[in-house]
Amino acid sequence: MRSSNTMNFLMGIYILVFFTYLFGPLIIMSFTAFNSAEFPAITPWECFSFRWFNEGKIAYDGQHLAGLFTDWRLHDGLISSLIIGAGVVCLSVPIGMAAAIVLTQVKSQLRDIYYSISIMPVLFPGVIIGISTVVLWDRIAGLGGGGFISDVGRNGIFLTILAQTCFISTYCFLIFVARLQRFDQTQEEAALDLGATQTQVFFKILIPYLAPAIASAAVIAFLASFENYNTTVFSILSDQTLTTVIASKVRLGISPALSALALTIIALTVIAAVTYEVLRRRQERKYIESQEEFVKEKAASSRVNKEYKARLKIPKGIVALILLVIIGSYVATQVVKNDLYGNSCIEAADIIKKSKFLDQLQTLESNQLSDEDLQGGSLGGNQDYGDIFGDPTLFQDFGGFD
Amino acid sequence: MSAGVELKDVSVTFGSFFAAKNVNVKIEGGEFFSFLGPSGCGKTTLLRAISGFQDPSEGQVLIDNKDMLGIGPNKRPTSLIFQNLALFPLMTVAENIAFSLEVRGVSKPERMKRAGELLELIALEGQGDKKVHQLSGGQKQRVAIARALAVEPKVLLLDEPLSALDLKLRQRMRTELREIQKRVNITFIYITHDQGEALTMSDRIAVMNEGELEQIGQCDDVYNNPLTPFVATFVGENNPLFGKIKDLSGDEAKIETSDGVFISSIDKSTNLNVGDEAISFVRPESLFMVKDGNDYKNKLSVKIENIEFEGNVKNFYASLYSGSKIKFSVANAIDTSEIEASSQIELCFDTSKSIILPKGALATE
Repeated sequence: MRSSNTMNFLMGIYILVFFTYLFGPLIIMSFTAFNSAEFPAITPWECFSFRWFNEGKIAYDGQHLAGLFTDWRLHDGLISSLIIGAGVVCLSVPIGMAAAIVLTQVKSQLRDIYYSISIMPVLFPGVIIGISTVVLWDRIAGLGGGGFISDVGRNGIFLTILAQTCFISTYCFLIFVARLQRFDQTQEEAALDLGATQTQVFFKILIPYLAPAIASAAVIAFLASFENYNTTVFSILSDQTLTTVIASKVRLGISPALSALALTIIALTVIAAVTYEVLRRRQERKYIESQEEFVKEKAASSRVNKEYKARLKIPKGIVALILLVIIGSYVATQVVKNDLYGNSCIEAADIIKKSKFLDQLQTLESNQLSDEDLQGGSLGGNQDYGDIFGDPTLFQDFGGFD
Repeated sequence: MSAGVELKDVSVTFGSFFAAKNVNVKIEGGEFFSFLGPSGCGKTTLLRAISGFQDPSEGQVLIDNKDMLGIGPNKRPTSLIFQNLALFPLMTVAENIAFSLEVRGVSKPERMKRAGELLELIALEGQGDKKVHQLSGGQKQRVAIARALAVEPKVLLLDEPLSALDLKLRQRMRTELREIQKRVNITFIYITHDQGEALTMSDRIAVMNEGELEQIGQCDDVYNNPLTPFVATFVGENNPLFGKIKDLSGDEAKIETSDGVFISSIDKSTNLNVGDEAISFVRPESLFMVKDGNDYKNKLSVKIENIEFEGNVKNFYASLYSGSKIKFSVANAIDTSEIEASSQIELCFDTSKSIILPKGALATE
């Protein structure tokens, strides 16, 4: 008994650590989106603000730190990402499905070879797929002269769709293979026997059976395309996708607008996942109910007739939602009451920062440095090593570059 | 509308393996015909050759006197009921039944009307909107039959459709299948490894072993006059008595075994001569106990080893003088309480109830 308690306790700790590891960074990042400070941070907390979702801010040096809503480069990137995602879904799902169906028809030793070849693109580094696509299409575009082919061959969005499809179709292939393994092939035979043509068998038996796999393959393909960076960064050429825009922003210094973007994506994902789960459970309940009805019908005349009571239940989801609303509104009132939100708070914070900035400027100006100090001297620097370029004897044996 | 089916020298090979070998059989229109054999004997392969899923490597399949070569399963006037039924789980019962009409372009109201009629035939009126998983085993069975009949096939092929059902349901479905066959009056070709099923339902049966037809005939004929040791032991139970032919006279023969000399009936077509090795077969129900067996030609003295109560009969397992085992059954109506394990008794059997066949492979359990 005691050891099982200890086990439970350790298990609880483990789960806590695991989820902290998994979600900790995401939660911290989500909070930084609401801090009005220019650099994503929780401490020091300035003010609660939505500005990184909206207009952003003009910094003291005049540089515009765009918010999520006003950042047109991000928007352009997002649009090309969506176009590429749609294109990849349209290509990868049919290719993956066709490849998986072929696998069910190959019975001999070729099957293993075929399978290995089919999953190979996943094993290639994405960078190589990106570069090789560009190299190939550059040649093709070169052959095309100045016409349509050369335009297409140098179109970043087109190339990215092709490059990503190379390996994303393999993900789709694996999803379809898993579903097809459970397919009862006598159903196809039964349909054929009942007079259906091969085409009818495909559309009336196989496609309805594969529908869930088609849906999940499409979602996976889209997400894989949307988040891809290492293939895209080469094949996109002069265009930009969301990931390449973000990457170039990070290179210049991150802004809380990226936190806002991350939070938006997380929120969309969570909403989609919850919706899916709710729908799935509803369907499951429907199935169970129909089974119960069937059992009830069967049991009506037998002695295993059980009573089926209607149970009054409040769904846990609604309880959680109400709790969340209560806590949320309490926090919101506290924030407003303590003047931690709104323009006045931001202005006050700006004034403090500005005065600090001016202080620093003054200190710098008051510290007049001598020439000797700048060359090293009391501030450290390169005096210990001497001035190698000033030393005429240092390279005297060096013959120079040929 | 029914059609005859004829297999002419049909062989099916997979690599060097013969799934079916030189099968010749002519099935009349409107007949209930069964292929009976152990699993792996090639009966399903034959069924697939008739339905068009498997082209014969040699020979011809004729349905309604037309060669079916090159005609796909969707163009043949046959319908197949699969062992696992292969109902479409994503469709309702009515959609399942009307599937064959849907793919032929019949309008929806018309095919739903037809589905309603067929649901009535299988006593499932008003249950067309249910999903397949909401049906019980027997109901699924009947839906599969209705679905197969919706095309109005000339030949219905059934591949062990009852094997997944429990005993009581299986027995009821036998009667039901037979009734449906009489009502729709089409040719039924039934595949089974269960001799009880084959004997109760069929007009004629064909016994198969290792890809070859062993015997074709009416049920009682196959049971009473088996042509090969395999048929004798596969259809029903049989006790083999191994020996040599000692004397031949008309349709009787003397066989000398290590447990004595017996006189059994013999078919002339067996072409056995004096001195040939042969087996005399006696069924468990043809052996009876006698107090004083002097009046009988065929006597066996046995030692009881084991007794098994089955309900309607009592089964006795006994060993002969030579050590070989023998089984006999006594109807429960007869009092056998004084017989116990290790008691020594005398058994007799009639000449007409035993049959001599040339030596050959027996059916293994």
